[in-house]
Amino acid sequence: MTAVVVEDLCMTYRAPVRESGWKATLGSVFNRQYRDVPAVQHVSFALRPGEVVGFIGPNGAGKTTTMKILSGLLHATSGQVRVLGHSPWQRRSDFLRRIAFIRGSQPVGGSQELTVLDTLRYQRLLYEVPPAEFQQNLDELTALLELGELLPRQLRALSLGEKMRAGLALSLVYRPEVMFLDEPTLGLDVTGATTMRRFVAQYAERTGATVLLTSHYMADVATLCPRLVLIDKGRIQYDGKLDELAAKLSPYKLVRLTAPGADERRLREAGELVESSDGTWVLRVPRADVARTTARLLTELDVADLSVEEAPLEAVIDQAYREGVG
Amino acid sequence: MSALSLGSHRPGRLLSLIALRIRREVLEWSGTWWFLLTLVVQAALGPLIGMFVWSAVYPADSYVATYYVTLLLVTVMTESFEQHTFSEKIYDGTISHDLLRPQPVVVDVIGANLAIRIWLTAMGIPLALLAGWAFGVSLSWASVLVAVPLVVLGGVLRFCWVFLLSLTAFWTERVHAIAGFGWTLTSLLGGTIAPLAFLPGPLRDVGQLLPFYPMLGLPADVAAGRVHGLAPVLTGIAMQGVWIAVFAVCAVLLWRAGIRRYTVVGA
Repeated sequence: MTAVVVEDLCMTYRAPVRESGWKATLGSVFNRQYRDVPAVQHVSFALRPGEVVGFIGPNGAGKTTTMKILSGLLHATSGQVRVLGHSPWQRRSDFLRRIAFIRGSQPVGGSQELTVLDTLRYQRLLYEVPPAEFQQNLDELTALLELGELLPRQLRALSLGEKMRAGLALSLVYRPEVMFLDEPTLGLDVTGATTMRRFVAQYAERTGATVLLTSHYMADVATLCPRLVLIDKGRIQYDGKLDELAAKLSPYKLVRLTAPGADERRLREAGELVESSDGTWVLRVPRADVARTTARLLTELDVADLSVEEAPLEAVIDQAYREGVG
Repeated sequence: MSALSLGSHRPGRLLSLIALRIRREVLEWSGTWWFLLTLVVQAALGPLIGMFVWSAVYPADSYVATYYVTLLLVTVMTESFEQHTFSEKIYDGTISHDLLRPQPVVVDVIGANLAIRIWLTAMGIPLALLAGWAFGVSLSWASVLVAVPLVVLGGVLRFCWVFLLSLTAFWTERVHAIAGFGWTLTSLLGGTIAPLAFLPGPLRDVGQLLPFYPMLGLPADVAAGRVHGLAPVLTGIAMQGVWIAVFAVCAVLLWRAGIRRYTVVGA
């Protein structure tokens, strides 16, 4: 059973091009030239119901294009896409009632003059949500997203973070089974981003919704997504567990120890010293040697504190973008 | 489906969605009534100028004032601004929100159109009454009642025409220039600059065949009591019906091509 199936998906944009200068400009009036720009190339993956998956990649990798195809906004050049058993591009009403596509760059569409509550009630009628169910969902969303104060306010008067919360409520009041979240924490402050992450995690857990999330903020991915699909130049580079990607790309772990009287020469023998300050040292140690090295450090030095850490996720992903997954 | 096609939606639900949209738009526009007032003034300006000019030319002809007062009302009741309410959504990409709603996109367009017309009509009636009183215009109730279906169809026709022009926004960013050209044709051949009866013979003959006179001048002429007998009224209604069908078919074809461009080419 799958909620989303993508097989050999390709999307190519046709962009007009021309040389600079008068001759080329006049020539383009009569003979317009185009260039094919491949945005997504032979992408395949599947999402199980209830799965929360991070879909990451550098700018221009093809994430938003794929999201648009999955939600029905774009018609793929070739390949197969099924979302909840539907072909998304047909945009049938019974499909659209079961999905939500939320973009951090445009969290709320439609008229901005109405209040949040008026707009929510409009959604109820549009999506034919029974009144009792609507009230229950609204109460739940109001509590989770702290909407109470926003309900009587006009959409246009909301801040970015408030718009995002309102946008989530508008999209989730009809309980979609599949959510496509495109940069949901874009531009949010730390509190806003944390609220958003907590909410998405709770919503997915409560409702069993399938979530595909793109983000440039690794905290989003690390908090929410056990599975990661990494796309670059329109092709899938990695599809698997987040920690396995870290292990694959970064064959080292960081050993952080506090040993005020330690001899730096002996520390350097244990691993590559990457940081030191006030008696605290950070060593880069090959994964295979971590157990042996920590045992040795604990035996030979007067250690006050010791911890073993993964390399920062940002560094891992940066490496994946620059060098590929391999 | 992606097209404008309404076939997969129940008629009752479509009507309730349109009613819902009208309610929502009326609420929304209530916050900017002053802007609507400027739209009414803009819409009324053409008929009022026509009235002043042609009353000066034919001071003894009571038809001029009667025609232009009814034309003023028909104009505000049939105003269409799809180059603003629809095309701008293509330009700023917010049409994507509409495409993902479980309803045909045209429902929102129709709802916005009717909501604006409700406001303009409410604001335009006092203006028409004032102009009628100032120029001593008297209308017969019978003529006004006969004109009702023609005004309704004229409104549909004008919507179809402006919507058709607005769909060019899928291909060009100059939709306002295109809509402006359409407005010029409507003013010239629809009976605003001059009543069709005052135009030179060949232009008048062509004007009667084109869709612009059935949008504005014909309903105004019927309400003004200028059209006598049932036959010309029925002919006018048939003419409106034919042009509505032509524009509707063209709009569906243009929509399909446009939405294909939007969703396939990525424009």
